[in-house]
Amino acid sequence: MKWYEAISRIDRRIIYFLLTVFVILPFFVPFKIRQNIMPQTQRLFDFVESIPPDDKVVMISFDYTPQTMPECHPMAIALLKHCFARNIPVLGLSFDPQAPGLAVEAFETVVNELNRKASNYDDSLFYGKDYVYLGWKSGFTAAVLDMGESIAGVFPRDYFGHPVDSLPLMQKTKNYKDVAIAIVLSASAYPEYWVLYPQSRYGVKIGAGLTAVMAPKYYPFLQTGQFSGMMSGMKGAAEYEHLIVEKGYTKKLGRAETGMNSQSIVHLLIITIIILGNIGFFFSRRDRKQS
Amino acid sequence: MNHDPWIWIGAFLTLMIFSFLYKDNPFYKFAEHLFVGVANGYYIVFYWQNALMPNLFEPLGAGNLVYLVPLLLGLMYFARFIPKIGWLVRIPIGFMIGWGAGISIPAYFQAFVLKQLQGTIITPQSFVNPLDGVWAVIILIGVICTLVYFYFSKEHKGILKPVSRLGIMFIMIGFGASFGYTVMARVSLLIGRIQFLLGPWLGLID
Repeated sequence: MKWYEAISRIDRRIIYFLLTVFVILPFFVPFKIRQNIMPQTQRLFDFVESIPPDDKVVMISFDYTPQTMPECHPMAIALLKHCFARNIPVLGLSFDPQAPGLAVEAFETVVNELNRKASNYDDSLFYGKDYVYLGWKSGFTAAVLDMGESIAGVFPRDYFGHPVDSLPLMQKTKNYKDVAIAIVLSASAYPEYWVLYPQSRYGVKIGAGLTAVMAPKYYPFLQTGQFSGMMSGMKGAAEYEHLIVEKGYTKKLGRAETGMNSQSIVHLLIITIIILGNIGFFFSRRDRKQS
Repeated sequence: MNHDPWIWIGAFLTLMIFSFLYKDNPFYKFAEHLFVGVANGYYIVFYWQNALMPNLFEPLGAGNLVYLVPLLLGLMYFARFIPKIGWLVRIPIGFMIGWGAGISIPAYFQAFVLKQLQGTIITPQSFVNPLDGVWAVIILIGVICTLVYFYFSKEHKGILKPVSRLGIMFIMIGFGASFGYTVMARVSLLIGRIQFLLGPWLGLID
């Protein structure tokens, strides 16, 4: 077998092995690849920055699944840290049946971490006052439209079974008029339905945190201003982590940032493999033409 | 190393799924079948507890008889299985189509047609920042050329030929961006699993 045939027929198991090595390596060999902040992530960060403290809520729709946790979960953590650091109340909800467990875990992780660091009562976060998780609701279209009239009407009880009207945060959050932005963290088509129904009917500002696969489809929504900002994939999450660290809201970068080192190295490997495959293809084709 | 049995189960199931990368084997098949079973069980219980019980059976149990209407509409879907009364299925389907079309058509037109069209229109404001102006022109050219490529009522000859060629280039750039993002997404999932194996399971990283 000639050299160019060999490089275009590398056994897939060798490629999988190299991929695994290249993913693992950056966790043990310390190095840093600087992440450029993409404009859409900066826009979302700036929007949250512009919300006055203790005023309107940030609504986060947790609609990702365990499969897409590496991309969307760090976004949720970074967003919650940003909101809580600025004293912006957070209202969580879900329409994907796989999401409630992940949403509760995201709230617990951030709230426990911040409450451990809290030096006094005022610094601490309290359920019902600083954040509420409404849980899951069936019938997406009807639910998101009805929330324009009354959120408590759609979610009479929260995820934990408390009557929603009894929670202090919900007494001042009646409908979308009290929501600064709805940020949809999703691994499926929910963000476009948020644009389609609550934004078209009630003018709700929409932000999105998407898996990288979905991102190209949603760029037009940024260009038209229908999205107020967007995080795309693990890179978007890493960028948001960077932004909140730069601003001093937290000291430690999250999981997306460490994952992005592996991501960058693996991309170099994939580019190399694509180039090798093409060199092999062109030389083989030249051989076939000559013979 | 973690002593939580659920972490160990998660780690072994992850390795079983990864074993498919070498070749198909009984460990992979076991994990795959287990996943399908668990997922189905989860969905059945979840919908029963969170959709049917609070939205239908509990209000019915409390004597709210208006809920018989959605119950009957729902049951009519099952009429498909009985040929004699199969026509009944048209009632809930008609109801859903009517409701869905009424609620969606104006919203689709507003959000996906008018707003997107608006996004391609160039105004003097587009050039407030010169770079934004350049991108606005590129977007306009891209939209027109791509639409021309999909215009099949006239043969792509004369002026239509170079314009549609440019359109296919824009489409190819779109496909390239989608491919790049897909690679990034799939690698992210692998990174997530490796982080789980090295972190919570083996305790080698934070």
